[in-house]
Amino acid sequence: MVELTSVSGAFTLLSSDMNAWLYLLPGLAIGLIFGAMPGISITMAMAFALPATLYMDFLPAIVFLTAIYTGAGFGGSVPAVLMGIPGTSSAVATTFDGYPMARKGQHSEALGVALASSVIGCLASYVILFVLIVPISGVVLKLGPLEMFAVAVWGMLLLGSLAGTHMSRGLLAGTFGVLLGTVGMNTAGFVRGTMGIPWLLDGVPQIPAMMGLLAASQLIGLINTTYLIADEASRKISFKKILGGVQHTFRYPTIIFRGSLIGVIVGAIPGVGSSISNLLSYSETKRNASDGDTFGQGNPKGVIAAEAANSSSEGGAMATMLALGIPGGGATAILLAAFAMHNIVGGPSFIANNKDIVYAVIFSNFAQAMLLFVVGLGFVYVAGYVVRVPLRFLIPSVLVVSTFGAYAIEGSSAGPITLWVFSVLGWAMVRYGYPVAATVVGLLLGSLLEGNLLRTNQISGGDFIGYGLERPWALLIFALMLGSILLQAISKRRRAKVAALSAAQ
Amino acid sequence: MSTKSGRKVVWGHLILLAAIVGVVVAYLLDARSVSLRTNNLLLVQPAAFLAIVLAAFVLPGIFPRADAAEEVEATGETWGDLIRVFILIVALAGLAFSLEVIGFDIATFAFMVVALAVCGEKRWWVNLLFSALFTVFLIYGYGTITPFPFPLTIL
Repeated sequence: MVELTSVSGAFTLLSSDMNAWLYLLPGLAIGLIFGAMPGISITMAMAFALPATLYMDFLPAIVFLTAIYTGAGFGGSVPAVLMGIPGTSSAVATTFDGYPMARKGQHSEALGVALASSVIGCLASYVILFVLIVPISGVVLKLGPLEMFAVAVWGMLLLGSLAGTHMSRGLLAGTFGVLLGTVGMNTAGFVRGTMGIPWLLDGVPQIPAMMGLLAASQLIGLINTTYLIADEASRKISFKKILGGVQHTFRYPTIIFRGSLIGVIVGAIPGVGSSISNLLSYSETKRNASDGDTFGQGNPKGVIAAEAANSSSEGGAMATMLALGIPGGGATAILLAAFAMHNIVGGPSFIANNKDIVYAVIFSNFAQAMLLFVVGLGFVYVAGYVVRVPLRFLIPSVLVVSTFGAYAIEGSSAGPITLWVFSVLGWAMVRYGYPVAATVVGLLLGSLLEGNLLRTNQISGGDFIGYGLERPWALLIFALMLGSILLQAISKRRRAKVAALSAAQ
Repeated sequence: MSTKSGRKVVWGHLILLAAIVGVVVAYLLDARSVSLRTNNLLLVQPAAFLAIVLAAFVLPGIFPRADAAEEVEATGETWGDLIRVFILIVALAGLAFSLEVIGFDIATFAFMVVALAVCGEKRWWVNLLFSALFTVFLIYGYGTITPFPFPLTIL
């Protein structure tokens, strides 16, 4: 599995080129700052830095960009914890428990937990990548549209079961999101639901819609509150508590391991990646936890599960990109662009001929993860001060920054208008008990679901069942999906029974 | 508001559900008017029907019994609180729709002044000073890191 000659070559490459190390720190810092700003995605941060890599050698350029990737991956969880704003779709599940923890005054612990889980998840994913890069690439090649559809449906159904007390509202929110996600031109060329608006041809702008549903709606709902954390004493930023959060994370090695494994496997699937892995990991942890009922109310296990999975998705996405030359998302697409700028084509031949470079990238990512811990500690300490800002200043400021971010992403008023529409929708949905996260994921997966369903229909000639029976990986995913939902229902019933018994005593 | 049979109507929820169902039905009709081919309706039609069925399951929650604890319009919320929320929503709409028309600088400053006042900042000089400084900082700060030039009027 591991070629020792190439490993030795990687060490030689890294020790002979100091430039590769020099770009680690600035890369992480850029990633952290950009990732923590609402509306600036990992992709944007990397796209912003891409031109600068043109004048670097290949290895330092890739190390610089992957450092931004790592930094921004964690940076997105800082606003997710402090303000309930997921910087990216991969931080959606972090808001479920991270934000309630912050509202309870446990923001320092939540940030410490998120940082430690991210670092460990990232490290674990690269260890798995180091050992399994060749077998993973073989598995990913076997996944067709039916398998992708199955994974996306799994993510959706899990959200329905995460919805809490009103399952019908959760499923309606998810289905509504899927429908909104199919607006515009589909892969077969049919244009629906655009109302004659040209920018809707490409679909509803996803990031502004996500920011509106999850963030702006929360802020509008907080207008009658003075501070994010009601208790003045709890607003203090404590380095000791951040470290306490870090220490707390190590009590749950199973959650971290499960999250990392889910992150690597799901992250390796192109187009699905971290936006589902964090939800899968969160849901699996909730199902297995004895205190699953407290998830969503500020349980640190939820933050650990989400962060371990979304950070380890980076390793999975890198596996697909390096092994197959297929970008799993925007960030790996930019890495491939950087490859092209240096006249290098990613894919099976790249791995076969340049194993030393691949291992050097993996080793530099070990170093990035370690360094992220140190830089991240300082960063979260400074960022934590946001809870001390009175909401009368914070609400308008964040709304304006989000509006600017929405404009920057779309390059026109389409972004801010979408943000506004979905803020109002999100505010109303939160008010009446609809899980907005289900709508967000539906919106993100709508076109993916439709595209893969159409492809499956074309390949199978309409015979879905006959075709499905010939696809063992699809059957395995469907079996896992059914098993996971069944287990979820059983554990829910068991928890309800225990709660009823303890209430009776 | 209670009905004769001892049930309440949660009007806000009713409006939200009507909006969701309205959008779903309008989208389904639009999609069907484009084409009835499988490649157009394979996902949209079943998903729309599912959404309508799920909405029917949600409907009873909009008319809870008068003595039910849940489904009360947010407790302790006054009309004044709701009006403030609506002013903020209208101000955000003003910001979104006017950015390119009157310039990011003026639109941002105007939104900040209104939103700060709505969110509870009573000192007018703090409001104006913070709004002006924040606008300048954001325009120049964000402008340097994003690839799109923001249309400006004054700055």
